[in-house]
Amino acid sequence: MNSIPAKKEIAFSGEIGGKIAEKIWDSIKSGLILVDSEGKILLWNSWIAQHSGIPAESALNHFLGSLFPDGLAASFKTALRNVLQHKLPIILSNALHRSPLPLYPLPVAHRKQDRMQQSIIITPIVTSEKKRLCLIQVTDATLSIKRERVLKSHSERLSKVAITDALTGAYNRRFFDERFTAEFGRAQRQNIPLSLIMLDVDFFKDYNDRYGHPAGDKALISVVTALKSQLHRPTDVVTRYGGEEFAIILPDSGSEGGQIVAEKLRAAVSGLNIPHGTSSVTDHLTISIGIVSYQPDTSCNATCFLEAADAALYRAKHDGRNCARHLVTPECGKPCPADTPQVDSPD
Amino acid sequence: MNSLSDLQLDALTEIFNIGAGRAASSLSEIVNDEVRLSVPRVQLYQSSEINADALSLDSPRLGAVKQSFSGPFNADAMLLFTEERAMKIVHDMMGSQVGIEDMAEYEQEAMCELGNIILNACLSSMADMLDLTLDSSLPVYSVGATDAVLRQIILETNQPLILVLHINLSIEKRHLQGYLVFLLSSSSLQKLLSHIDRFISGI
Repeated sequence: MNSIPAKKEIAFSGEIGGKIAEKIWDSIKSGLILVDSEGKILLWNSWIAQHSGIPAESALNHFLGSLFPDGLAASFKTALRNVLQHKLPIILSNALHRSPLPLYPLPVAHRKQDRMQQSIIITPIVTSEKKRLCLIQVTDATLSIKRERVLKSHSERLSKVAITDALTGAYNRRFFDERFTAEFGRAQRQNIPLSLIMLDVDFFKDYNDRYGHPAGDKALISVVTALKSQLHRPTDVVTRYGGEEFAIILPDSGSEGGQIVAEKLRAAVSGLNIPHGTSSVTDHLTISIGIVSYQPDTSCNATCFLEAADAALYRAKHDGRNCARHLVTPECGKPCPADTPQVDSPD
Repeated sequence: MNSLSDLQLDALTEIFNIGAGRAASSLSEIVNDEVRLSVPRVQLYQSSEINADALSLDSPRLGAVKQSFSGPFNADAMLLFTEERAMKIVHDMMGSQVGIEDMAEYEQEAMCELGNIILNACLSSMADMLDLTLDSSLPVYSVGATDAVLRQIILETNQPLILVLHINLSIEKRHLQGYLVFLLSSSSLQKLLSHIDRFISGI
């Protein structure tokens, strides 16, 4: 203990004698360096010795700056000077400084290796003899960066789960409600077109009754896959609106675009040729589609727009199913959609 | 004592602008670019007057870096930034190594450092000019809804008066307004002012 004069600077009382203190700082899993006001090293714990490849014997009583052939980073030197001068603690974040000291992950092979990512805290220490010292604490930031990444990917996965329909993998109603409100608001503010598709699997209850619920589930999954295969813009996504009802928001799409997409969707599901013996339309599974397109400069609100989509879907069912029917947003301040349908016939 | 004399305000503004200059040069060294930092105004507020509107904080979330210091008088110094803009500044400071969406990984520590630089500079300038010694804790960063953060400050200080520094920070084309809030007890404020008066009479 006495062979290292530096350690006399630190006073310990009672049972925590110098020997124990030495064991403590050598057990700590972060780096500790104590320097005096000239930059002379008074403490160099095992962690620092291991990660710098410089043993304590070679470091103690030498100047920090002279230990490293490449010298110290300017920002590190400034920080050290500031702590000594102003006696205020300083943080050198990993984000802004990366690797100020030449420390390496174990085993230290030197040179070719990348430096360890570091977070550094420098605190002033004033001894009972009024000597100003600086304690430099170094922690390996690699771990905390990794931990943050893992947490971030977890939370991304969880937020994906929160907006996904477990059975079909389509987005769920919660997602639809949020996205629809946002997109409708955007269309109104920026006066741009917007189309909304509502579709329903024809005679799905009969399908379940005839083929059983597991088959019904499988059919819904196939329908979603078929719908997805027809949507190519990243903004156009399938959402499960409820039971066998699905909704697709088509931002920036006017009535013509909306009708083209609708017909493709209808054809794709029909093309699956999933046998449906109890359908009154045909011998396989089909869908009915309602489309509503937002006309800029109309006074339609979100609720009214949604009702118009329902009305168009109702019209498609009324007209014999396996077809698409289209509405253009009416001027609906008071009298709402159903009584002013402009029915087109895409078939 | 509900107000400061013009002379006292001038002296404080001068002291803190010297601190701001020091912080700017530290920041410039880190970002390798010119950083400008100034304290255009120092004001004493009634704590009941402190709200998002009074401080023109138009962001829903506020980041706060806090250091407690002690010496001839004790105070908590808090640097307040709207989170969104602070993140952009830190992002710029880091260069293009990280996308803004990945900033969360670094936010905590980087904001601590940014706050630490500015708080230390203001505190050390005050200590030098008033010829006193101040000790400080390490910075702690917290982020929360603007109103909640401000309410918490008022609640914690439980003091009628709060000293507020308006801070302008610009790095390259990016401008950031922040506030440095000193929370001191009335006796600590008295002591600070007597040091200020001594400083003024010594000029």
